Amino acid sequence: MLEADEAARATRHQARRIDLLVALSISDLRARYGRGSWTSLKWLLDPFFATGVYLILVTFVIDRPGEAPGLSIACATVPFQLVIASVVNGLGSVQLRHSIVLNTRFDRTLIPLAGVITETIAFGSALLLLAVMMAVYGVAPTIAILWLPVVIGVTVLFSVSIAYPASLIGLWYADLRTFVISAFRTLFFVAPGLVALAQVPEGARQWLKLNPLTGIFESYRSVLLYGESPAPWQLLYPSLFSLVLLALVIPLYRREQRQFAKLVEG
Amino acid sequence: MSARIVAEGVGIEFLFDRQRRLVSPTLARVRARRTGSSSWGLRGIDLEIGPGEAVALVGRSGGGKTTLLRTIAGVFVPDAGTIRVEGRIGSLLSVGAGVMSALTGRENAELLGVLAGLSLRDARRATPSVEAASGLGDSFERPVSSYSQGMRARLGFATADEANPTILLLDEVHEALDHEYRALVQERARAILGAGGIVVAAGHDHPLLEQLSSRALWLDQGRIVSDGPFAAVRAAYLAEAHPPEPAEGAQPGAAGTG
Repeated sequence: MLEADEAARATRHQARRIDLLVALSISDLRARYGRGSWTSLKWLLDPFFATGVYLILVTFVIDRPGEAPGLSIACATVPFQLVIASVVNGLGSVQLRHSIVLNTRFDRTLIPLAGVITETIAFGSALLLLAVMMAVYGVAPTIAILWLPVVIGVTVLFSVSIAYPASLIGLWYADLRTFVISAFRTLFFVAPGLVALAQVPEGARQWLKLNPLTGIFESYRSVLLYGESPAPWQLLYPSLFSLVLLALVIPLYRREQRQFAKLVEG
Repeated sequence: MSARIVAEGVGIEFLFDRQRRLVSPTLARVRARRTGSSSWGLRGIDLEIGPGEAVALVGRSGGGKTTLLRTIAGVFVPDAGTIRVEGRIGSLLSVGAGVMSALTGRENAELLGVLAGLSLRDARRATPSVEAASGLGDSFERPVSSYSQGMRARLGFATADEANPTILLLDEVHEALDHEYRALVQERARAILGAGGIVVAAGHDHPLLEQLSSRALWLDQGRIVSDGPFAAVRAAYLAEAHPPEPAEGAQPGAAGTG
């Protein structure tokens, strides 16, 4: 009887957490992206512009277009959009909600997660760019496309893992937000963002593989551009990196969330 | 419904770095060990509020009224002592009444409803009654950034009330309300008290607080100076805050100089 009560209470608690997460995500979506049909267009245009700029750079300025350069670049810019948007969202996530943080007790560990859910919805719209690029370059999907949900899952996991430290840094060192965003943008260039890993000189490849974004970008290329299953390291290394980071940061975040109301007021 | 608040030796500490910015204990350990400072927003608070009690918090700005309300609400976690709160809390603890400026009244009602303990479905179902109770009319669909303080307070109160609180915490917000809505808040506060709930309100509008509360706490520098019947505590506070003018013709500092 006691166990049944305990189980019912745990179920209610989980249901409440899910409701809270959904409510925080919906409010974040509206607060950050507004309302109406233009919202999806904004999400769509952002990676189109980023890919267009890098395509011009790779094709005309550094003249290393490689295979289907637009698709290859989109395989990096689309997941990177989720990563960088999660960082930006995370940095301001607690401040954005200062009015509710100062008024109500709730589980603040859900805040960065809600931010990543918001950005994942935007990322979902941006996936259309990959389909467009495959059509433009005449790249037909193969059975390997079934790996895409797993690849997307790893991208989301990595984004969640960096959203938590970003959220803490945004509170602890608010004046460093611009620097943190620039540092993360740099990670795009110390990964095979503009050109595929195969086009990078052999000596640099092992170093680039240390960047978890390398595995993520290459797994999109494997599945969509080369039509093959991703290599195990492409998914395992970013996943392991993310899990270790979460294991380190979540306990710290739980402890720090008790102080959020003091910090946002200051 | 039976509500209770018991605080034993509660302290809330604020830590600062050398630029006098608020920092968390983790950061304080890292960057403020040698040159940082700290102050206690609350210190040694012993308090018990039982069912059906309404308590007013009075005192100078910075005395600890808001900090105590936030500690009761669970927004601040005590750095010393313990606090036990039994009951469902409805709180309006900031000038913004806890609403997000970028959201509309309806969107805030949904979010605040879930934060107050309703399921998402129930919070959505409740929005028509929040809309009616807030009396915001067409403004309910507009972003809260276009609202006055009074309109925000109306929205915050209507949403908090929808979750059927047994403990109502009000921090000056009710002072932003117009007379018509104040009467409504007082009516609800009395209903909560009548059903065995608790109301704790802080502010500087003493006649308004007196209508809500029979008991008062005078807080100064984070400590309870006086706790008792409203009229007596208020008189003691005002006597110290506004000492009587010296009699006409008296020389300042004349006594004892002879």
